[in-house]
Amino acid sequence: MIQATRARQLSPIAHLGDATMRLLGDTGAMFLFLLEAFGRIFRSWGQFSKTVRQVYFVGVKSVSIITLISLFTGMVIGLQMYYALAKFGADGFLGAAVSLSLVRELGPVLTAIMITGRAGSSMTAEIGVMRISEQIDALRVMDINPISYLVSPKLAASIICFPILTAFFDLMGILGGYLTGVLLLGGNSGVYWYRVGAYLKLNDISGGFIKSLVFGVVVCTVCCFMGYYTHTRRDAVGPEGVSQATTAGVVVSCVLILLTDYILTSLLF
Amino acid sequence: MTQQIIPATPDIRLEGLSIGYGGVPVVSGIDAVLPGGKITVILGGSGSGKSTLLKHILKLQPVIAGRVVIDGHDVNSLDRRGLHCLRQRMGVLFQDGALLGSLTLGDNVSLPLREHTRLKEREIRERMMATLALVGLEEFHDYFPNELSGGMRKRAGLARAMVMEPALLFCDEPTSGLDPVTAAELDQLLLELKRRWDMTLVVVSHDLDSMRTIADHVIVLGDGWMLFQGGRVELEATQDEYLRRFLDRKAADRDTPLLTLPPLDMRVMKRDCSEYLEEK
Repeated sequence: MIQATRARQLSPIAHLGDATMRLLGDTGAMFLFLLEAFGRIFRSWGQFSKTVRQVYFVGVKSVSIITLISLFTGMVIGLQMYYALAKFGADGFLGAAVSLSLVRELGPVLTAIMITGRAGSSMTAEIGVMRISEQIDALRVMDINPISYLVSPKLAASIICFPILTAFFDLMGILGGYLTGVLLLGGNSGVYWYRVGAYLKLNDISGGFIKSLVFGVVVCTVCCFMGYYTHTRRDAVGPEGVSQATTAGVVVSCVLILLTDYILTSLLF
Repeated sequence: MTQQIIPATPDIRLEGLSIGYGGVPVVSGIDAVLPGGKITVILGGSGSGKSTLLKHILKLQPVIAGRVVIDGHDVNSLDRRGLHCLRQRMGVLFQDGALLGSLTLGDNVSLPLREHTRLKEREIRERMMATLALVGLEEFHDYFPNELSGGMRKRAGLARAMVMEPALLFCDEPTSGLDPVTAAELDQLLLELKRRWDMTLVVVSHDLDSMRTIADHVIVLGDGWMLFQGGRVELEATQDEYLRRFLDRKAADRDTPLLTLPPLDMRVMKRDCSEYLEEK
């Protein structure tokens, strides 16, 4: 009886311990998953064509949504910054404010979050459906490594596409700031572009690219991992398991994007 | 480890095998020989562990205890190269075909050739078309799996399993969900494949007609144990109560009255259809 009571008293601690152990186990498994996927990118020439297809899916098909989001983000920043800077008579620094905030922070972060929603979720769903419909088992019995076949090309494509899409986001965002700050509100065009060039340093641009590279690796690893291990989920099985895995993939990716953004910002700038 | 890891018609021996998931056994104490060059049917009711046993033989799941020995090689102690050689000589037809949904039928069948051979693209295509012709699907090579019927998907899965000329062919419920004619055609196809290629076939099924058509050797699973292994004639002559019930398709004697549900009053229905029903 005493033991039962003690067990009940300890159960929240036991639950915490269980959750911690699972978190540590998943983190370790995810890291090993990443290492294996990365190592298999360069295994054979066959990976090249698969990677090209994934670049089309992750990169090319994301261009329209990135254009839309970046343009509006830049326009909003231009609008808000113009009024704020104008109060101090510093509206001439609009170009610097827009470009720095986009290139250092908003470009990499928003691009990563948008690609997570568009491509990351479908990576999880695709691999998850393949898992529950025995397609991954079929690959294994054909002696085709599923991580090599499914994950490595996606990882390579993410490493290629995230920085390129981030650069595109930055450019379109700066253009958006120009549209509102200069064309709509009457700021000086020459001053805007001069400040963009004068204040944006190579360090800012390379920092943004490093962030986007890390985000690409994080998003692809998390989303593919969630899909690959759909069948081990405790909360749901079958199609519901795939949907839960997709949600978890997007949520965990977004949280990790913001977490790593903070860490990288502290280290890089 | 060499390419000759599997001879043309390898035996499969299951020695003291316990299988299950997460350390919890589903079937224990399996000691059986699946003879080379014959068709072994693994029979049993739903949930008896037939597909689980197949997954353990294929090393898709780790065994709890015991060994799976294919022509003298313990599958669980094979190194990566050995497993590679073994799997290259295996073909597997999964329950629903397990074709990759993003690839056409032709690409699905070509996949093992592209991954494991140095054949040129023209040769791969020729071989793919020949294998699809074997199962009568050559006209559908550019169709995607979701554009095909269940029977066609199974035949396509069989074509993919056959494309590397396996010495061992495993089929998980090949006739389930098929109409009797298509199921009989698939049985004939398996017999023809075995006759032409002299391979070892392992078929998981609960279809008695299919078992009676194709089986040389039968293993029956039930109640967490292996209940029978032997020839088809021996099985048909058995006097074991469970096996007889299974073979004669007799329902289990149950005390529970199945047809004594309390009547469902139509007034509890959310939408009232009584008027419509009366008119009818």
